[in-house]
Parts: sequence; structure tokens; C-alpha cells
Amino acid sequence: MTSVPLTTRRRRVTFPPPVVFALVLVPFLIEAIGVFWPAVQGISLSFLHWNGFGPATTVGFDNYTSLATDDVFIGALKNTAIWIVLFGGISFIAGLGVAVLFQAERRGVGIYRTALFLPIVFSLVVTSLIWSAFFQPNGVLDAILDGVGLSSWKHVWLGDPSTALYAVIVAALWREIGYVMVLFIAGLKAIDPSVTEAAKMDGASAWQRFWLVTFPQLRNVNLVIVSVLVIDSLRSFDIVYAMTAGGPFHSTELLSTYMFSEAFQTRALGYASAIAVVIFVLAIAVIISYLVRAISDEKES
Amino acid sequence: MTHRSHRGLTALAIAAALTTILAGCVATGGSGAVAPPKKDAPGAAILQSRFSDELKGGMPELIAAFNAKGKGKVTLNTIPTETYRQQLPTFLTAKNPPDTYTWFAGEATRAFANQNLLLNISDVWDKNMTKFPSALKALSKNDKGQEVFVPTNYYWWGMYYRKSEFAKLGVTPPKTWDEFITLSKTIKSKGVTPISIGLSDNPWLASAWFDYLDVRINGGKFHLDLLAGKHQFDDPKVKLVFEKLKEVLPYFSKSALGVSYNQSMSDLAQGKAAMYLCGAFISGAVPKDVKGDLGFFQFPIIDPSVPVVEEAPADGFIASAGTTRPNLTKRFLAFAASTEGQEILMKAQGDAALAANPDVHITLGPLAQQGKEMLESAAQVTQFFNRDAGDALQPTADAALTQFFSQPQNVDAILATWQKAAAKARAGS
Repeated sequence: MTSVPLTTRRRRVTFPPPVVFALVLVPFLIEAIGVFWPAVQGISLSFLHWNGFGPATTVGFDNYTSLATDDVFIGALKNTAIWIVLFGGISFIAGLGVAVLFQAERRGVGIYRTALFLPIVFSLVVTSLIWSAFFQPNGVLDAILDGVGLSSWKHVWLGDPSTALYAVIVAALWREIGYVMVLFIAGLKAIDPSVTEAAKMDGASAWQRFWLVTFPQLRNVNLVIVSVLVIDSLRSFDIVYAMTAGGPFHSTELLSTYMFSEAFQTRALGYASAIAVVIFVLAIAVIISYLVRAISDEKES
Repeated sequence: MTHRSHRGLTALAIAAALTTILAGCVATGGSGAVAPPKKDAPGAAILQSRFSDELKGGMPELIAAFNAKGKGKVTLNTIPTETYRQQLPTFLTAKNPPDTYTWFAGEATRAFANQNLLLNISDVWDKNMTKFPSALKALSKNDKGQEVFVPTNYYWWGMYYRKSEFAKLGVTPPKTWDEFITLSKTIKSKGVTPISIGLSDNPWLASAWFDYLDVRINGGKFHLDLLAGKHQFDDPKVKLVFEKLKEVLPYFSKSALGVSYNQSMSDLAQGKAAMYLCGAFISGAVPKDVKGDLGFFQFPIIDPSVPVVEEAPADGFIASAGTTRPNLTKRFLAFAASTEGQEILMKAQGDAALAANPDVHITLGPLAQQGKEMLESAAQVTQFFNRDAGDALQPTADAALTQFFSQPQNVDAILATWQKAAAKARAGS
């Protein structure tokens, strides 16, 4: 007899109160209406040929098969890969570098940190205006080259398909490095300085102290930063759109800008949705594989 | 128990997701023809306009004059041009769409009309617009022969230059292609860029060169058939157009692909570049003190045996088939077509457009007068690449032409890609 009240009491304890359900369900519903529902709509659109106002025709996987033979799409895929490697990679390394350089509280270090962080407060459109003026024919860069006697290096930086993508990446890096630096500084500050001091006492060189003591302790921060960088790379759109709009002739097209121009300029909504699905799958795949690896690493250690 | 409720939630989410997939989710059907109501809903009609203040469309003045008549109220809703073009299909297919819209004549309007999205305004034409030229009337029809567009004005394209700069260079406007090439050579030898163009942010400007070369070499019929999809872009006749374009490529600025529209305009205004193939809207793009110095000449004649075709894009209004105020909307459109309405519009647009209503008598400036005479002497007029071919094809032309500016040696590959992209754009829409 005594066990019955006991179990009911235990049940009462484990059963979450209604407010918990409310806290879970309300955000879930908002998310469902605002995110899941449009996402599912996007997926279902990708099986159609539709211009947004005429009758739609169902075409099965036609949009996906034509993606495979679309040179612009393959170019955009390559550019996105270049973007992840260069934009993501350089942001990570340079951000870490300046963070290590500027983490210690020395006189005047705040000025450098502020200078590096400043680009983030500009909107991306302003950033792209500044850099367009920098790269434009007879702009700042060409004037600098003239000034140092390198006139022969002058170039139509944003108008030449061989340089345009890299020029845009430079502009995007200018903004991202400061952001990554701030994240790394936060991570570095959380490290107990006595560990590094102990390593120093044991005779570890500066490089060994960084690579064997500091860096391993940044693992959680690295996880966040890599995820942020991959997501930022895949959703990069505004700076490319504002600086080159994917041109000249699709040479700076990323998956995101190609999706936009297919959806709203060519008005091939089904085809654009298929590109959106590809972006979604790529982002999820990269992030899940990274998370799985990071978590299994954590378990091992 | 917590576990079970968790599982329950997951199941719920999966069930919800599956239902939505199965339901097909998006309302993608074309709308059927719905007869507009006989009686107007109360309230003001909405005019959606793509003319921001600096574009000087004259919409606020037009609406103020209409509202002052006390025959109903129209309110103005202005949206930046690019956004407007992207969202127009959304406006038109909305449950409760705005009533009237500024838009282009031609295929750009027909595409919507043939999906039954536009209000049939044949009665406005029959009652109020009998004197409009038949060419404009033909442009305003859907495939069933009903009028769905009210033209308010049209403009011309020409090769613009600064008269004082031409005098300084000691050159005069050419008439034929050979004269044009010689002129360009002379200008270049004097250290001035002969032809200005800004393709970095406005690549569509290159389509003016394509249109004009095509109508001068292959004639208006071939051009319109090509844009309607009856010929292919890898046709040898199209290659002839690109070969002609190649002859003038050395006279463009080497950095044309990196120059912005504003920069290209100031190059012309400052005399760094001599000529610009542009629409009449150029007078709004150059500084005020340069405006009076602008002159233009007709795009040079290449083959005298080909009847002369000019570009004359018409602007005007369309109305939504779903309007709840059809009578008020038609009253407003009739007013916009009247001599009074068009005079207001012309005054606001300055010397950059010609009234569609032939009864409008206002003193034209010298450029408008020249433009009018040029268009009247033409055997045929076309609209512009995107207006004749449909907006969806414009990006394909932009890619092909900008690539040709940079890699003229790859012409065959460029044309093949263009044809493929155009076919895809036509199938997608």
C-alpha cells in the first residue's frame, strides 16, 4: 500500500508542470510557422517550374538534374568552396593571430583592438561601397600602385573575372577578422594563466606554450568559430551582391547570389528553390560532421 | 514520463512536417479570370509606382490633379525600381491587390495579361483613347486582343555627346557605321575615350548595343522573332551582330566592366569620354549645367537596304484584375490618358519623354523634338531587350554581352551558352 502513494508522488515530481509545456510549445509553434513551414514550402517548390504568377507545372527532380549540367551553378559551387576555404581559413588564422597578439593588456592595445573591430559596426552595404571605391578603376588601390611606381600592376579589379572574386573576399575578410578576433580574445581570457606560466617554468618555448598549452584549451571556442565561419560563408550574399552582383558574367557568383538572381530576376522559383535546398544540405552536412567529430573528440579526452 | 513526452513531441513534429509535405503547401495555381465587381468598394484606390523622387515620374502631380477633381481618391505608394520589379508578380497575385501600377508595354505586360492578372480596360480605350496611334494600341493588347495597358509616354534612344566637346575635338556627328568608326578613331587619337558605358552595376546597358546592331544588320522582324524565341541566339545572323560589336570594342573604355553607371555618366559630363548610347533619361543623369550642352545622333546606319528601326520604349499603367474598385481605377486611367493628365506628366518628366496622347500640345525642347522626328521617320519601333523578350531573359543577355566585352575571341561559346540560358529561362517561367 505504501508503494502506491510513493509512485504517484514520484510521478507528480517527474511530470513537467504545464508551464514547461508552454515554454517548449510556444517557441516550437513560432519556429514551425516562421521557419519549418517556409522551409518545407521551399522544398516542395523545388519540384516545380513556376514563375510566381503563372500556373506551376510539377517536374519531379528535373530542377536537380539540370543543376548538374548548369555551368553557372557548378561555377557558383566552386566559388563557394573557394570562399569557405579562403574567407573561412584566413579569418580563422588571422583572427587567432591578432587575438593572441592583442590579448595581453598592454598600453595602447585597446586602440588596435578597436581599429580591428570597427569594420563590424559598418553595415555590409557601406563596407562594399568603401571597397568598391578602393578597387574601382583609377580608385584608391590604383592610385597607391601609381604612387609606389607599380603602374603596370593597375587592373580592373572588380571587372576582371580572374580577380573579382578575390577582391570581394578581401573586403569580406576586412570585416570578419575583427569579429573572429573578439571571439578568440574571449576564449583566451577564459584560460587560466597559471597553466601557461607552469609551462613556462618547465621551459616550454613560446610556440610550444601556444600550440601545446593554449590552443588545445580553445577547443570549445574553435568549435563555435568554425561553425560561425562555415555558416557565414554559405550565407554570404550581401557583400557580393552589393559589390559585383555575381558579375562580371557570373564569375563571382556564389550559390546564394545565383539563387537570388534565379528567383527574382529570371523568376525561375522552382530552380532557385532547388539551389536553396542544396545550400541547406551543404550547411547541415558540414556542421553536423564537425559537431560529431568535436563531440567524439571530447568523449575520448 | 519525461522521455515519453519528449518522444511524443518529436512524433508530433514529424507528423506535422509530413502533412505539410503531402498537402503540397504552396498556392501555385494560375488565377482564373474573375469578373471584377460592378460596384466599387469604398475607400481610395492605390497606385503602386516605381518612380522614386529623383526619377521624376510625375506621379504625385498626376494624383494631386485627379484627386482635386473630386471623382474619387487615389493614393500613391512608391517602391524603389529594383524591388518593384521583383515584387510586381507578388502584388498582382495577392488576395487583395493594389489597384493600379506603373509598368512597361510589350511582353513585360503581356506575360501578366495572359495569366488573367490584368484588368481588361478595352472600354477606356474605346471611350477615351480613340486618337492614340495604332502602334501604341497594338502594344497595349493581350493575346486575346483586349487592351490591358494605358501608355502615358514613350522615349527614344540615341548616341549622346556634348556639343562643346565635339566642337573642341573638331568632329561632327556621323550618319553611317564607317563614318562612326572613323570618328571613334579620331577621338581616340586625341586621347579621349570615344564611347562611355558603365557595366559594373548596370550591365543591361550593353543590350542597347545588341538591339541596335541587330535591327541595323538583320532588321526589325528578325530581331523581334529572335527575342520571341523563334530564332536561336547561336544563329549565324546573331554572330554577325557580335562581329560588328567587336569592331567598336577598342573604342570603349578598357575598364568598362569595372565602371559604374554614375562614373560612366560623369566621364561623359567631364569630357573624358565622348559618346554614350543611352535613353532619353540621360538628361536626368548628368549635372544641370551639362544638360543644355547634350546632343544626340541616330544610331549609325550599317546596311542602307534594311528599313530603319528605332527603340521607343513606352511606359504607362496596368491595373489589377483583382481590383475591388474597377470604376474608380478606370476613371483614373482615363484621366492619365487625357491631354490634361499627360501634360502634367510631361511637365514633370522634363525634356526626356514624349506624350502618348497625340493631342497633347506642349512646346518640346530641342532634344525631344529631334527624338520625336527620329521616331516618326522610323519604319518600325522596338521597345528594348527586356520589354520585348520578357524580363526573365535580361540576365542571360547581360552575361553574354559582358563576357563578350571581356573575351571577344570566345564568341561561339558565348552564343551557345546564351542560347542554353535563354531556353532555360523561357522554360522556367
